[in-house]
Amino acid sequence: MKKTLFVVLISVLFAFDKPQPSECDPESHANNCIPKLATGFNFLKAYKVDGVSGAKEKVEYSYVFTTGTQYMINLCSGNTAPDGIVVSLYDGQRNKIATNKIEDQIVSAINFSCRSTGIYYIQYTFDGSSTRCGGSALGFKR
Amino acid sequence: MRYIALWSVTLLLLTGCGSEKKKPDDQSFEESLRDSSLNVSALNQEMIDGILQQIPSPLEISVLLKESGTRYNGSLLNPSGNFERYNSRYKMALNLGVYGTDLGYTNIYEQGRAGLDYLSAIRSLADGLSIGQFFDIETIGRLAANSKNLDSLLLMTTKNFNEINKYLEEQGRSYQSVLLLTGGWVEAMNITCQTAAGNPENKQLRQTVGEQKIVLEQIMLLLSFYKQDTEISSLFVDLESLKSAYEKVVITHTYKEPTMEIVGGVALVKDNSTTSVEISQEDFDRIKSITNSIRAKIIS
Repeated sequence: MKKTLFVVLISVLFAFDKPQPSECDPESHANNCIPKLATGFNFLKAYKVDGVSGAKEKVEYSYVFTTGTQYMINLCSGNTAPDGIVVSLYDGQRNKIATNKIEDQIVSAINFSCRSTGIYYIQYTFDGSSTRCGGSALGFKR
Repeated sequence: MRYIALWSVTLLLLTGCGSEKKKPDDQSFEESLRDSSLNVSALNQEMIDGILQQIPSPLEISVLLKESGTRYNGSLLNPSGNFERYNSRYKMALNLGVYGTDLGYTNIYEQGRAGLDYLSAIRSLADGLSIGQFFDIETIGRLAANSKNLDSLLLMTTKNFNEINKYLEEQGRSYQSVLLLTGGWVEAMNITCQTAAGNPENKQLRQTVGEQKIVLEQIMLLLSFYKQDTEISSLFVDLESLKSAYEKVVITHTYKEPTMEIVGGVALVKDNSTTSVEISQEDFDRIKSITNSIRAKIIS
């Protein structure tokens, strides 16, 4: 009887001991993105993209973009970027201005030529991403 | 013998008392009290963090100035030797931002010698704010000495300032980040206004001045969280006068759907929206004058 109880107890303990999801290190991915900005682009910001293991559906930042300036936003992740991370750009009125997902193809960077100064929202969402974890860098050139 | 003893005691008393300046500990204590009074709620902190990251880097303006063909003008910058004037955290944070802009300007124009002077001033102010560890002065100095290292130099200095802002936020010292950004922006505005005034045929520069109305609104929103502080309140009032100078500046945004295509694995986006900026000569002159006054106060 005691042996049976012991086996049941151990089984229950193992049942609750589920494997932990691998940790997300978005800061590392963001830093890795910086040198991957295309030639000629000056680094501005690095953004962490952390879907917190599925809990967060989107991550958003904002920045004032300036007329006459080209901006690049790239993506990095543990797997081959973009790993299902979709980055979209919205203007101050929440009109969608740009996205890296064009006709079901998701690419790893956006090159945006700004013609209208204002606050823009940089939004990251997940479309079939295996890790929901990555980083991004923003750069500019004129 | 008695006289010698008496003079010795008298001398000891005189040197012991000396000129009773405010002890560094007293100033430190007062600054700590001030830091505590500037703590904000978690909700406000989230808002502040969101707005802080919106503020564009002054480096963009320096690049714009150079690309527009205007020449380097070192007289527009805050002399690097002025750093010795700044004894309070308030002044240090503001002028760390000012010198950050000046450093970016000198770097873009490849003025290595001036850049090194600004680096030294920045390091002193950063040490005063206990954030000197974020500047690898030796490496930055080596990069600044060679114009071929411009990309690496800009990258390193931008990263350093980003790290500082992140650290200040983590330490509950966001108000210093706000002051740093404010000082940097005012300096960039002053350089742009003065350059635009000296190049009246360059419409783009005047448009840039007009567009700063958007950034000013965000900076004032940031400062409004700390108005309980006397000095920040005073700065806020100064910026309100600048805001009033912008009242008649009209920025019109016209949205048009963008065009996108994939080129070389990158989504190439052409923005078809436009912005028009209406800024009269009178408004420009007033903005320039007020900016110059605010800036003079900051660097004094």
